[in-house]
Amino acid sequence: MKRHIRNGINAGITFGIITIFLFMIGFTTTISDLLGQLLQNGSSASVLGFAPGRFDLLVFLFFIGMWAGISGSKKTPDERESWGTVLAASGTAGLIHGILVGGLVLLVGSLLKAGVSMTVYFAQLLPDAIHLFLLGLNATSGALFYVVFLLMTGLIGGAVARTIRYGALGQNIAGWFKNKWHAFTAWPQYQRIRHNRPALFVVYGILILLVILLPQVLGQYWNYTVGTVGIYVLLGLGLNIVVGLAGMLDLGYVAFFAIGAYTVALLTAPAPHHLMWSFWVTVPIGILLAAFAGIVLGIPVLRLRGDYLAIVTLGFGQIIAVLLHSDELTAFTGGPKGVAAVGSPTLFGISLGTPEGFVYLILLGVVLVIFVTIRLRNSRVGRAWEAIREDETVARAMGINTWFHKLLAFAIGAAFAGLGGVIFASRNQFTGPEDYNLMVSFNVLASVIVGGMGSIPGVVGGAFTLKGLPEVLRELENYRVLAFGALLVVMMLIRPEGLLPTSRRKMEIKEIHDPDEKAANGTSGGTT
Amino acid sequence: MDTIALETRGLSKRFGGLIAVNAVDLAIPEKSIFSVIGPNGAGKTTFYNCITGFYAPEDGEILFFNKSLVGLDPNQIAQMGIARTYQNIRLFANMTALENILIGQHHLLKTGWIEAILQTARMRKEETNALSEALRLLRFVGMAGLGDQTARNLPYGAQRRLELARALALKPRMLLLDEPTAGMNPIETMEMMRFIQRLRDELEITILLIEHDMRVVMGISEHIAVLDYGVKIAEGTPSEIQGNAQVIEAYLGRAATAAA
Repeated sequence: MKRHIRNGINAGITFGIITIFLFMIGFTTTISDLLGQLLQNGSSASVLGFAPGRFDLLVFLFFIGMWAGISGSKKTPDERESWGTVLAASGTAGLIHGILVGGLVLLVGSLLKAGVSMTVYFAQLLPDAIHLFLLGLNATSGALFYVVFLLMTGLIGGAVARTIRYGALGQNIAGWFKNKWHAFTAWPQYQRIRHNRPALFVVYGILILLVILLPQVLGQYWNYTVGTVGIYVLLGLGLNIVVGLAGMLDLGYVAFFAIGAYTVALLTAPAPHHLMWSFWVTVPIGILLAAFAGIVLGIPVLRLRGDYLAIVTLGFGQIIAVLLHSDELTAFTGGPKGVAAVGSPTLFGISLGTPEGFVYLILLGVVLVIFVTIRLRNSRVGRAWEAIREDETVARAMGINTWFHKLLAFAIGAAFAGLGGVIFASRNQFTGPEDYNLMVSFNVLASVIVGGMGSIPGVVGGAFTLKGLPEVLRELENYRVLAFGALLVVMMLIRPEGLLPTSRRKMEIKEIHDPDEKAANGTSGGTT
Repeated sequence: MDTIALETRGLSKRFGGLIAVNAVDLAIPEKSIFSVIGPNGAGKTTFYNCITGFYAPEDGEILFFNKSLVGLDPNQIAQMGIARTYQNIRLFANMTALENILIGQHHLLKTGWIEAILQTARMRKEETNALSEALRLLRFVGMAGLGDQTARNLPYGAQRRLELARALALKPRMLLLDEPTAGMNPIETMEMMRFIQRLRDELEITILLIEHDMRVVMGISEHIAVLDYGVKIAEGTPSEIQGNAQVIEAYLGRAATAAA
């Protein structure tokens, strides 16, 4: 059988299983609710004559279907595939995907009609969820619909993928923006400041001074916004280690954030445990527990790569979310109501529990995390991570213990998220399961990708763009999420390496031109 | 010349019904240049992957200076002193040439993650030494001045040499080269042949070579083993192999043997 057809079948089966899995755990219902909120429902959906939930579900499945098509048409980068092979591969992927999902719909729909209650076996298979998935059709026509729908979306995905990869339009737009960016970086003033040490120190000095003064000047609202951005920077820097440096796509990252937050909440709040510990004691506990959870997640996924790793970690994030929602665990976690009156930090009798206090605390955390990241990155450990990202097989052949370094990346990334969670819960004085939904993982991942994978200024810039920009865009009201999404798409097309991509360390030049400084500084110098 | 660097006994690797490597016995003397040749699909690269631990052989034993390699992880095998290069160059493409070489030194360095964060004096000294060693290797393969270039931007010949420098950074006792002269012009090929001989003569590294270019194979190997459909069909010195009827048949088919 031809290779592209085989690729298509593999992708079709993989995505068929994924979609079925998502339906079984009730994710399809959750996401259509979520999309419903984002798309502001009503207007657009009713125009097309859909009931709102169904429309949102189809939007979601449209993207999953496209993803299957894109994945199925993937080939070696040096081969330029023709339209025929792309469409054959993505069509095969879409068809298999459709047949699997259609089969499930047929089965579940018929069982529902026969009056079998499936909630006994799968708690999420409520009649409502099934009706939603059937889109109001009966089992047979629903199944047929999915076969056709997923075939079409698969084909669209393949076509989109090929257009972006080789299409003249995609290349032209990308080229134009790249030229503009090069013109800016070649600008003499920019170059002069960039390569002049005293000038850089002055720039940094002013920045630090501003940072110290700013919280005093900003109002409560802006302090809160800056704090939120700062927490996202913490999360972004942690995920940056896992995704940007070690190259492992982790979609369940929110779990570690939740573990940090719930640790501080349960240990400092009056209910449900009445422990009332000091905030400062819980900080290291929260960080360590999150790191431990990182290792626990890491062990089973060590062998997985790429798309498969993404799906498993996504599941892990969902498990934590489900546990936090659980009524059974109310006595332990506070259940759906969450935990109120979380303790806040005090220092020498002065409360830091004010918006300004938290801004300082968060900035301190960010500086610490950046410091640790830079040092790890420019060491043997950081190089091993990057080698794993570039080519895991060769990394092993070069004597790197990939097993250890991948777990280390998971643990350190999770520890940063734990720190973020601790501060987050304390600042809100409350924590509930709603704060830790999937969108957090996606937002953090987006900030890492938008900023530039592996780059520290990139992550900071990305977090500002993702959490700060929507606040600034408030004028656009209901359209801001839409405008923002469009911005992200355009941005990824024209600058896939991110806003502020990493620049490699120049070590040979440095060694030859200023060996004295090198000897004095060790290897501390380096760009980020 | 008497010590055996690497020995395989009855090494077999199957993929489903296909026997890619079939009961291969080889003994590679220390500090020799040993070539494995054979038509496409003869199982040469599979043989490499078994030695380096990426494939688990179904049967047989692999001994490296009398220590068994079967069941060890690829990184453990690399740490024992077996380095390799790839047929289709596999560098860490987005890292600089120097960083690639530094990764080769990974297992020789001791810094752990805590030391890296604290940046102890020992760690700094180690990094300084590692960097000067990397620069030395860069010069050794004739790439001085290219150290800060991203690997993917290097010209083809430089990429091949960088891959060798990275392998040498492991301080290997044995080097597995997979078609090191593929895609090279005759002059570059000559240079590579001399370079491989230097590795053996000056650094005393045992060389195992997979190569299609017969000028290279006959020019520098002391021993040659021929694989065909996973079976070792001949072994000997270059002149013995050149006259071997079975080898000619494997390469050219039965008619050629009859004509010869």
